[in-house]
Amino acid sequence: MEKDPNKGYIALLGWSLGAVEAAEKFDRRYVVVAPTWAEEYCTEHNIPYVPWNFERLNDRSIEIAETLKDMGIDAAIPLFEETVEWAGAINSVLMGNPRLHGQAVLFRDKALMKRRAQLGGIRVGIFEEAHEQSDVLRFFKRVNQTLLKLDGDPEDPIHLKAFDKAGCLGHRVIRSSEEIDTIPDSEYPLLMESHLDGWEFAVEAWVWNGKIQFLNISEYVTLGYSVFVPATPELEKYRAQITQQIELLIKTFDIQFGQIHPEYFVTSDGTMYFGEVAYRPPGFKAFELIERAYGFSAYQATMLVFDPHTTEEEINAFFPTEVVDAKGHAGCFGVYPRRRVVSQLDIPEETENHAYFDFHELTAPLEATVTKRTAFGTHWGLIFFFGEDPHTLRDLLKHQEDLDFYV
Amino acid sequence: MTIKDSGESHATGEPSRLARLELQLDDAVDRLADAPSVSRVGRAGRVFDIARRVLMEPGGCGTLEARARAMEEAGIFEGSDWARPGILLPTLTRHSLTSPEPMTVVIEALSELRLLAVAREDYAHPQVSSEQARSYLTQVLALNLSMLFGPPSEAERETQGKLALVSRQLLAHLSERIGFENVIDSMIDEIWRLLKQRPIQTETIREMITRIALCQADPEIDLGTSGQGATRLVSSLFGPTQACSEDPGIDIYEERLAMMDGAALQLEATGMARAMHDTGLVSAYHAVLVRYLLKDHDHLISEALGLSATGRDCLLRFHPLIRALLARVAQPETDQALYGLARLLERGILYQPPIPPALWRQLGLPLSDWSRARIKAAYGDMVDPEARLLEGVLCMLGQPLGVGQGNNPTCQSARALSMWGWSDPDYLLQMVTWAARDDGITMHFEGQPISSCDSGEGLSPTLPLDLDPVSLLVVPHLDRIYMEMGRRCIGREGDPHRWINPEFHGWWTGRAFHINVDVATGMLIEPETFLRHFYAAYHPHYNGDQPLIHPQPAGIAVTDSAARFIGWHAISILRAAPGPDDHMRIYFFNPNNDSGQNWGDGVDVSTDGCGERFGEASLPFAQFASRLYIFHQDPQEEGRLADIPAAELDDVMGYIRRSWGAERLPPA
Repeated sequence: MEKDPNKGYIALLGWSLGAVEAAEKFDRRYVVVAPTWAEEYCTEHNIPYVPWNFERLNDRSIEIAETLKDMGIDAAIPLFEETVEWAGAINSVLMGNPRLHGQAVLFRDKALMKRRAQLGGIRVGIFEEAHEQSDVLRFFKRVNQTLLKLDGDPEDPIHLKAFDKAGCLGHRVIRSSEEIDTIPDSEYPLLMESHLDGWEFAVEAWVWNGKIQFLNISEYVTLGYSVFVPATPELEKYRAQITQQIELLIKTFDIQFGQIHPEYFVTSDGTMYFGEVAYRPPGFKAFELIERAYGFSAYQATMLVFDPHTTEEEINAFFPTEVVDAKGHAGCFGVYPRRRVVSQLDIPEETENHAYFDFHELTAPLEATVTKRTAFGTHWGLIFFFGEDPHTLRDLLKHQEDLDFYV
Repeated sequence: MTIKDSGESHATGEPSRLARLELQLDDAVDRLADAPSVSRVGRAGRVFDIARRVLMEPGGCGTLEARARAMEEAGIFEGSDWARPGILLPTLTRHSLTSPEPMTVVIEALSELRLLAVAREDYAHPQVSSEQARSYLTQVLALNLSMLFGPPSEAERETQGKLALVSRQLLAHLSERIGFENVIDSMIDEIWRLLKQRPIQTETIREMITRIALCQADPEIDLGTSGQGATRLVSSLFGPTQACSEDPGIDIYEERLAMMDGAALQLEATGMARAMHDTGLVSAYHAVLVRYLLKDHDHLISEALGLSATGRDCLLRFHPLIRALLARVAQPETDQALYGLARLLERGILYQPPIPPALWRQLGLPLSDWSRARIKAAYGDMVDPEARLLEGVLCMLGQPLGVGQGNNPTCQSARALSMWGWSDPDYLLQMVTWAARDDGITMHFEGQPISSCDSGEGLSPTLPLDLDPVSLLVVPHLDRIYMEMGRRCIGREGDPHRWINPEFHGWWTGRAFHINVDVATGMLIEPETFLRHFYAAYHPHYNGDQPLIHPQPAGIAVTDSAARFIGWHAISILRAAPGPDDHMRIYFFNPNNDSGQNWGDGVDVSTDGCGERFGEASLPFAQFASRLYIFHQDPQEEGRLADIPAAELDDVMGYIRRSWGAERLPPA
């Protein structure tokens, strides 16, 4: 697309095909900042590219900020958890605002994030940091003690999450004290959280000028398996409360612009518990789902809210109205093989022939033996659905868990 | 004819499902068309997946056929071999259509449906004409007949599952849409049309005939009254004579031969020869017979090869040589050599003094490791590479107009081989020796040697495998030398063929060079003067009735059936002579594998029925002249301008103006 030199010049931190495609088709100039393995690909497809290896921030980190500044870049957009802190550091140079880096650090460290949220008056569950096995055991016992469990009662699970990993990566559930022994030492330190019996959901919100411009609620059918947008009316009825919560989050974390992806629990009495918040596009292709449902590119939306040259008119013209403007409900299901040994991909006819079936990204198995899942793990590919009725879609997504896609 | 139910339950009811898929497909195709290059692969994957589901639906093939153009233009074939339909081989479709990999089946199906749209003239394709598409699809159907008529085999079910249905629906749709009253009969016509050109390579034709034979023999398949015309084709391969008419197998046939008396053997010999000369195909039984005759019935070999007085005379004069050749090639694996040898004998070229000793050299020629490996890679190791090459040599000397370039951009090399086989056979044998034994050929360009070993890449980026044994070994060298000659002409003004053609093809190529295209601008220059020169040199009415002595290289502007320019192509002019209707025609050799092409605006290249000899293509003189852009002539004879009547000149200019000259001529 023709680039408008009067609009912002954007750096995308990390390689994401969806983001690059959206940038290609957007009126902002852009450059991809990615490790050298992306170079050949970028050259082949004529994609503007600056090589950079995102390791830990160090003394040389200023180099990339200065390179981008010299190029005239206006904003850096993090595409992955690993580039969030980089974006904060770079933007603090590009925009002359040192607080942006501090803010990014909060997003990167789950323990700091929870404390900040707590300080802001946001309701969070019980959490603690663990540095070794004994910390986990003590936390597990204390949580269950608090819940007045007697010996022999089924114990309440706790959740363990790596400090600085995205989404389900490094997320495991501990249901008994025996399981604690199975955690490898390499996963410490980590964050421990009490389990909340509630309805978990996620939000994708685009913030500009300190205000929410678009707020999407993504409904999880089963965490780690399936999600869809927009949510069912049952969840959407909390929209006003959710909006309040997000506004509180914006205030607490002092967010002027950007795109956030927080997760919450809502308990049966309507109380919201904050899980965590990420300052980057969500995993699990929620951006793709939003685009399918609403027709706008969520990546372009993110570029829009990061760009300091964006005008109010542009913002108003860009975003549709939540829920009412959706053309339907879009969902996806992450496939995990259910058998230990598989030889081929075989999509069940009932799935493929369902009126809501859109397309899939599954590929034939490379190995016959399925690795046992430890933490939540990585799915083998996604199946996309699209349809009119959110309840049909929800039940359809749930039903996929009972089917074999690899046999 | 009935198309058997596949036995699998079809998706029933819900007429809306295909309609829904169509919406999804259109959306996915739009998104592909719209995608920047970086995300095309992913977008294409989605189109393929939806297309796969569409193919499963009744009527799905029609849906895709109607969208074939949009899908191709959106870039569905980009980056794959299917993007260049001109190079696709019908024989490979069997593998793709039975592949367990859904994407392979789907992309093959989409490609066939695209060609179907081209064949039906719903889609004017920039690379293939509707005739080419039709001919290709006919061959695809012939090669996959069992899938068209039979249910999936257990093996197919096992490896392909539901996909086996897709291939079947596709083939049924193709045969229905391409409008065959009777699929098999159309295939038989197509096979005969190809056979009339007497190609050296007969593998595809044999495969098609075998497929028809298998369908005829299968009690599960009811062909009805169709396929009667296949009898001669099938019998020529599998039962040419009474003693083997039921295809009894070689062992039984040998036993029967041993029981025969002289009269019976003579009957066998003439029967075999008749089948061979009728079709140009040689049965394995024929080879068995000749081998048997070599032992004690030598006098019947002439009968078995179907020789005329000329051929028989050659046979008798060079008897030990012929026996030695037959001893090497009279075996089922190299049976086509018998036809090559028969034609070679009929040409009388053994009376050229260098030929017999050169063939003796060929008989004892040691092949380099590389040559052996190349032949094995292309032909397998059923038979030793020396015998395979000898078969190729005999065929090329016997059928020099049966050379084809395969699917390679090496028309110049194929043309040169054909020309040498025709007028300089001992030079051809020398080339084969250098290539096969020494892995290198040296030619000279303006006094400077050019070795194929030292030259860089040729026109063909990969080593082709789809060639006859001689071309297989020699073409890679010729191709590099040809390119090197081109490199040495860089910087010269005008078309380099002026210098390359005489040096590359032979001394007889006239060094006077005529071209009617300005190389820099592509515009036609003085087309009428060009034509007057051409008529004066080649047309018997203007050159004092002088027949052409040697084949002359010439350049053709090839056009498609809509008379649109496709590209420049090398051919050789063989002769100008009146056709059966007494109108003057040009007979020429086209190294393209199938010369029967429709060049549009009524210019329909004939290969049979207008006085053509095997392998010749022909056009009325004026029509040929209208597509010509380069020809050579003896400089001593140059300069005369034919006084062509205005009407004839206008006729030719009209053909030019309505086709490739449309944008190359100044406005009339």
